[in-house]
Amino acid sequence: MTIKVLGPGCMNCKTLERRTLEVLSEMNFKAEVQKVEDLDSIVAYGIMLTPGLVIDEKVVWQGGVPTRDKIKQVLESALAGRVAP
Amino acid sequence: MREWQKVLVLVGIFLIFYFAPIDAAVVTTSISAGLILLQEYARLHVLTCLVPAFFIAGTIAVYVKKDAVMRLLGPKTKKYIAYPVGTISGGILAVCSCTILPLFTGIYKRGGGIGPAVAFLFTGPAVNITAILLTSSVLGWDFAIGRLIGAMVISIFAGLIMAFVFREHDKKTTENGFAAGLESDLPYSNLTVTFFFVLQLAVLVIFGLSIDPTFKAILIVLLITSIAGIVLFKFRREHSMEWLRETWNLTKKIMPYLFAGVFIAGMIETLVPEEIVTGLVGENTLPSNAIASTFGAFMYFATLTEVPIIQKLMGLGMGRGPALTLFLTGNALSLPSMIVLFNVMGRKQASVYIVTVVSLSVIAGWIFGEIF
Repeated sequence: MTIKVLGPGCMNCKTLERRTLEVLSEMNFKAEVQKVEDLDSIVAYGIMLTPGLVIDEKVVWQGGVPTRDKIKQVLESALAGRVAP
Repeated sequence: MREWQKVLVLVGIFLIFYFAPIDAAVVTTSISAGLILLQEYARLHVLTCLVPAFFIAGTIAVYVKKDAVMRLLGPKTKKYIAYPVGTISGGILAVCSCTILPLFTGIYKRGGGIGPAVAFLFTGPAVNITAILLTSSVLGWDFAIGRLIGAMVISIFAGLIMAFVFREHDKKTTENGFAAGLESDLPYSNLTVTFFFVLQLAVLVIFGLSIDPTFKAILIVLLITSIAGIVLFKFRREHSMEWLRETWNLTKKIMPYLFAGVFIAGMIETLVPEEIVTGLVGENTLPSNAIASTFGAFMYFATLTEVPIIQKLMGLGMGRGPALTLFLTGNALSLPSMIVLFNVMGRKQASVYIVTVVSLSVIAGWIFGEIF
């Protein structure tokens, strides 16, 4: 699973990256987390309100820092979607 | 920072303190003027204006459902809706200045097209709620409203001009997938959020009223108790924590720059000769507005620092018209932001945009100076 955190590098984007990593280690789940800071690549995903979260090339969140529970829920549903598409 | 850079910085600081004429009159008066202005802000504006304003900005960031606004900036929205939404959405969507450029790029490349995108780009930093509230606290309501209306009117004209000059641009931008992943799951009704917002705004307004102090204190306590009641009993804990975190982040980001700006503004007052200010921008004429507009376009003001600087320039004799012009371009443009615009929009479009907003600001400032 590839997770991308999109944002030009402001405080909220860093918070989202940190939380995502925390939730991943809490769930004991290994995934590659990338930080995308280039404006054109961010917009190419349709993300305008940063920070945004992309799982396997699909936008699952944008426009603020989600709570840990929300990140967990998004990750779980992405996992479920993989097993039974 | 590399080690040799640290050495250079340290040597530089040492040389300044070794040679600088610290006890010269001009140094001591300008430093004490800076400190005096800092005290004025600390006493008059921090508790009664800035602190409530940061909480309000935190509320907007956490509780306002942004998906609805974003959808109105999409490629399928009618133009007569997209333009007004573009001009006001800066106040709702972009609480932090680093969100303005991604949003602009998104609207420009994938959403409502060049016109609404330009309208958003120009007003985004100007309709910022903390900036408006601080302006009204320091310079009065007429300036705050002039700044707001001026920015909105200019942005619509600038958007229309850009959309007309570059008609070709919008023909290739109709894609789907706009504003995906924005579904908000806040379990609160619009009424609750609006009420919460109005309560906080009321705190700020009542601080500003000149009424009997005891009555004022009672009202403030009542309001703060009801706000605390909503936070504790109505909103979920995680959202309330998020609200505090957002407010604190904003404070942390803005306050140091604002205090530095206030100090510098205080120093300007003693360092810049009055004759230069009155000579260049003292009268409300088109040339003096043009000087203010061009200066504002290149100068970079960190969020909110434009307020003390313009306050002190007016103290030195800057006219009201040029002051408003400086507010308009000072926020919307700066040398760094121009460079980014050249990259995103291309040389031709960026140049037309810059020339358009600089000229429109001159006219708006001149009209404001003539009327008020």
